[in-house]
Amino acid sequence: METIKNVLDPRVKLIIVLSLSTTAVFIKDVYYLGGILLISIMISILFNSPLLSLINKFKRMLWLIVSLIFIQSIFIADGTSIIALGDITFLTIQGIIKGLQLVLRMLIIIISASIMGTNTSREIVQGLVQWRIPYEIAFMVSIAIRFLPMLTDEIRDVVIAIQLRGIELEKIPLRKRIKIYSYVLMPIVANTMVKARKLSTAMEMRGFGVNENRTSYHTLQMRRIDYAVIVITILGLTTILGQYYLQGG
Amino acid sequence: MTFPIEVKNLSYQYSGRKEKVLREIDLQVNRGEVLGIVGLSGNGKSTLCYCICGIIPHIFKGRLEGEVLLFGKPVKTMDLTTVATQVGIVFQDPDTQLFSPTVEDEIAFGPENLCLDREEIGERIFDAIKVVGMEKHRHDNPHYLSGGQKQLIALASILSLKPQILIFDETMAQIDLAGKKLIKEKIRQLKKDGKTIIMIEHDFENLDVADRIMVLKDGRLGSFQGRL
Repeated sequence: METIKNVLDPRVKLIIVLSLSTTAVFIKDVYYLGGILLISIMISILFNSPLLSLINKFKRMLWLIVSLIFIQSIFIADGTSIIALGDITFLTIQGIIKGLQLVLRMLIIIISASIMGTNTSREIVQGLVQWRIPYEIAFMVSIAIRFLPMLTDEIRDVVIAIQLRGIELEKIPLRKRIKIYSYVLMPIVANTMVKARKLSTAMEMRGFGVNENRTSYHTLQMRRIDYAVIVITILGLTTILGQYYLQGG
Repeated sequence: MTFPIEVKNLSYQYSGRKEKVLREIDLQVNRGEVLGIVGLSGNGKSTLCYCICGIIPHIFKGRLEGEVLLFGKPVKTMDLTTVATQVGIVFQDPDTQLFSPTVEDEIAFGPENLCLDREEIGERIFDAIKVVGMEKHRHDNPHYLSGGQKQLIALASILSLKPQILIFDETMAQIDLAGKKLIKEKIRQLKKDGKTIIMIEHDFENLDVADRIMVLKDGRLGSFQGRL
């Protein structure tokens, strides 16, 4: 049986992701943003996207999210003061709201983008190519996605190499740790560039980029359900934005 | 007589380097021959491969003297599409050659670049995957295969371009014994099909499939006398 994630064309999913992200950027109200986040999570679950692994990653980034709220709020001096030292205000309600807006937006963008994880990179490339985006650019996006795990592998290898030399990174003070990381940055960047060069050579040796156009073994075909979902998405987007601006934005 | 590969008085110097990597190289390889080239690291083995398959001068620039002829035609005057249909190269590291989410997509990549129609691409995928014996992995992600299997997929992705010349640039360097056995089997099979093959190696055990072995030392190519 076809599941919803297999039924829809990757271009439709791209439209859904773009709609959710765009709405998140325009809307400032925390309640609206919370609602959109909920919709993003529900769509993500419906598409069976890798939401659990995302949540696990968020758990590790929880301290970063909390810090972001506070850092953002420190720079907002307007509103009711919560923490102040003399005349200097450190935390205001307005600041916390701004911080929350930022975090909610980030979550909406990341969770909605996870929907694209239900398609292979080649399908996404094909969708972009059929949208008349030059195939070199479409492949560039796909290769960039392919390079992310390669970059994390590279970082992990270098960190392991440091630890094998008897340096226990966890026990080193933060300032010294940052200094060590700055030393390893160069080899990581250099190795990644070498790999990128090798990959592009391998691609060129198979005729990539020589012709203006290229054919595709797999092509995408939009169906009625795809058009229906696009219409529903656009209607949803307009309703949310309309409602928000009617209430005074 | 026209040779599949003919190298005439070839010298090459990378941009920004003081010394030549290759010096006055002459080489002729016959149809259906498996030529092994050995040499220590940094002696120019891979550079020679790059000159034969057109990466030099088409992608890497530098000072090139002499010429490389493929079936009598100079590589430097051919465009990369033509070179790609005549010479296929399998590199050492499988992870920097494979980038598609499925084996099928990986093999289709080359023929798609040649602007072939769907039916032709389908036939080429079928043939290439059959040659390397990876039919049951057609819809798998190549990144989850073993090192040897990855190299076979890299080979299949080259074979789908139907080249007459194949270069294996230390292809067996990062794979286990079982993987090496698989690759060598395929090399023997390809030789039977009349392909001209160059194997760059530093491990002599991998060269039992070669008809002739040459050594590259200090940028000069000579016949192998039993030691490097």
